[in-house]
Amino acid sequence: MAIGEFRLRIGYSKCGRARFLSHLEVMRALERSARRAQLAYAVTKGFSPHMKVAFGPALPVGTAGDREYFDIWLTAYSPASDVMSDLIAATPADLAPTAAQYVGGKEPSLSAAIAVAEYRVEMDQSEVDEEQFRTALDAVVASGELTVEQKKKTKVYDLTKSLSKEPSVKVDEGKVIVEMAVRMGPDGAMRPDALIRTALQRAHIAGATVLVTRTDVFIEEGDVLRRPL
Amino acid sequence: MTHKDLWPSIEPLLAGVERPARYIDREWGAAHSVDADYRAVLIYPDTYEIGMANQGLAILYERLNSTKDVAAERAYVPWEDMSSAMRSVGVPLFSLESCAPVSSFDLVGITLPYELTYSNVLEVLDLADIPLRACDRGDGDPLVLGGGPCAYNPEPVAPFFDAILIGEGEEGLIDVVAAHRKARDAGSSRSEMLRALAQVHGVYVPSLYTPVYSDDGALVSVESSGGAPDKVSKRVVQDLSAHPVPTCPVVPFMDVVHDRATVEILRGCTRGCRFCQAGMVYRPVRERPADMIIHDVMENLACTGYEEVSLTSLSTTDHSQIEEILRRLRRRLEGSAISVSLPSLRVDRFGVSMARLASSGKKSGLTFAPEAGTQRLRDAINKNVNEEELLATVEQAFQSGWRRVKLYFMIGLPTETDEDVRGIGEMVTRVFAVARAAVPPDQRGAIRVGISVSTLVPKAHTPYQWEPQISLEEVRRRQSVLRESMPRKGVDLSWHDSDVSFLEATMARGGRQLSDVIENAWRSGARFDAWTENYDLAVWRRAFDEAGIVPESIANQPFSFDDVLPWGHISCGASETYLIRERQRTDTGQLTEDCSFGGCTGCDVCDDLGVDVKLGGTRGHR
Repeated sequence: MAIGEFRLRIGYSKCGRARFLSHLEVMRALERSARRAQLAYAVTKGFSPHMKVAFGPALPVGTAGDREYFDIWLTAYSPASDVMSDLIAATPADLAPTAAQYVGGKEPSLSAAIAVAEYRVEMDQSEVDEEQFRTALDAVVASGELTVEQKKKTKVYDLTKSLSKEPSVKVDEGKVIVEMAVRMGPDGAMRPDALIRTALQRAHIAGATVLVTRTDVFIEEGDVLRRPL
Repeated sequence: MTHKDLWPSIEPLLAGVERPARYIDREWGAAHSVDADYRAVLIYPDTYEIGMANQGLAILYERLNSTKDVAAERAYVPWEDMSSAMRSVGVPLFSLESCAPVSSFDLVGITLPYELTYSNVLEVLDLADIPLRACDRGDGDPLVLGGGPCAYNPEPVAPFFDAILIGEGEEGLIDVVAAHRKARDAGSSRSEMLRALAQVHGVYVPSLYTPVYSDDGALVSVESSGGAPDKVSKRVVQDLSAHPVPTCPVVPFMDVVHDRATVEILRGCTRGCRFCQAGMVYRPVRERPADMIIHDVMENLACTGYEEVSLTSLSTTDHSQIEEILRRLRRRLEGSAISVSLPSLRVDRFGVSMARLASSGKKSGLTFAPEAGTQRLRDAINKNVNEEELLATVEQAFQSGWRRVKLYFMIGLPTETDEDVRGIGEMVTRVFAVARAAVPPDQRGAIRVGISVSTLVPKAHTPYQWEPQISLEEVRRRQSVLRESMPRKGVDLSWHDSDVSFLEATMARGGRQLSDVIENAWRSGARFDAWTENYDLAVWRRAFDEAGIVPESIANQPFSFDDVLPWGHISCGASETYLIRERQRTDTGQLTEDCSFGGCTGCDVCDDLGVDVKLGGTRGHR
């Protein structure tokens, strides 16, 4: 971090209709928010200068996020709460910032440091029989492997490594809800919806709407998990 | 009228379609006026990411939403995955802001940006459950209004529209809304309402005009009825300053084309290129003053958060204060990493210095349009550019650090010979040599010269409106002549697809009988014809066959000066006398100067429409 720069970490949610945005679209939207809020953002040096900002791991199109993060480098210090309220006023409601705090220059980057993500997957009870689904999911998890076909490539995940917490299934207000924790790695992470869809297929359940939300992400320090903020 | 919110039916479809960001609304700047008395939906007949770039609709959206008791929303054509999902569950075309059925609005405004969107106009109407033809619509249907560049020959699509606004919409659309609202509130019948609209200056109501044909099928006259004027003249705004650019437009989430702030700094261009429809129909030249431009740019950037602003017009570096504007913006934007961009430049060294002033570092590429390969032909089309200046311009661009230039050329221009066509290749060879000489040897590998060649589509209201397009066989022959004349290395040559230009020419020059062809083609699945992968001339050929029309008889046949033209009852202000004189000067290679630099050239627009050229300063010859 250059001298005279202040690294502010912002927490935000990607909810409502914004769940349909791609990671690139979210990044661009939030960078534009920072400009609209007239933050004193730092600019990279070089041939094609741009705002100095860094985002956490990508969320796919269709997946919501309750606690997402980005870092922005400022050239002047303002109280984090002031920056946050300026940002909120300049951001579409479905991407609104929820927290802001300065972090040290040596803090590892979000994309490298985030090691575990928790997810909640919701399906409608009218479309998914809970017992049938639970049995199928247990069987997939017990097999220890998940094979995913993506863009004509086959990828095999070792579930004992990919899942840091085994999925739990519950029923609440007409929804079948699955919660799980997934390990993030340098080669990308298993997508929870891939696991759910494999289980649905095994249970012969077709046409169910699957809503995925990343509820939390964690940085790993030794044996301890902590939130980025 | 109650407005149904279709979102609950739309949301479940989005998991299964590409780029759902096209359909979700909620962008920064989107206007949500819940209880307006009069509601309009403005539609661009292509996808969201193409339509969001349209400045005309952005202006009209802002104008309507700032009119008391009026609300405007947006709609675009859903991509095929989405439209089939919608049809399978019975969801009609919806507006983005309130997710209401398009058919529930008072006004459905569809812009006509290019001929290849005509099949999509029908897709819009069908998906919206609105009868395709105006004659089948009843009192419960919305007013379907057209407008935009292709309205200057509205005939091929005329039967699909209740009314078409010719010319600029800043004032015209407000007048249409007022007249329609008055008729609606008075409980007028649809035909009474349309007759009232025909009284609004600039409004063409196709059902009140009947083309009359002779026994051999030639157009003899177009008869007006119901008190409609014989000739509909375009609307034109006298003073652009009275209509500020929208400074808080909708900022898309999606990566749309031209994803940046745009500030229109002047309108109209009177350079007088004889093939150019924009140069004829957007007259006269009207500049916005520098102070206003600076203010609007800064306000737009503050409101949108864009990282780039484009100063748009047909010929941006012609603005009499362009240098001052760029210097002031550079000062204001220093350290912000916000860049200023200019659209394609005139071929002159001044253009390159202005691009240098704008770019401050990043030099992506420069685009110039010499249009023709020999001086004789450039003079014939009144493209006031000489090769010496082009080479000097290219040299300056490469010396200033640019490594990529793109040059636009046309083939099929009147009086063109093979020598002219080969002249393009010879000129490109010299351009490439100049570029190499201007760049240090170790950087020569980075030199890129892009050549884009299109075929002339003779357009209504230009001096070439009587000209045929050259035949498809001739296009291919001239393309091969050109290919052989091109340098072998370092040049990226691309063509505008001749099959596409052929349909464009047919639609640009044809009359009302083409509406059957468009409907046939749409029924056979023509959609998104501007998308190369979707366009199929065979589908269109079958559509012509079914309608008993030979497209070559429209695209490739000349009109005589005495013929009644299909668009003859529409006027952009430029007189036929002027257009004929300009056409004749093509044969003699006589140049006509630009009236915004020199004296009046007698196009008659100002007299006819009661307007005048308006400049912020003095334009000097450079």
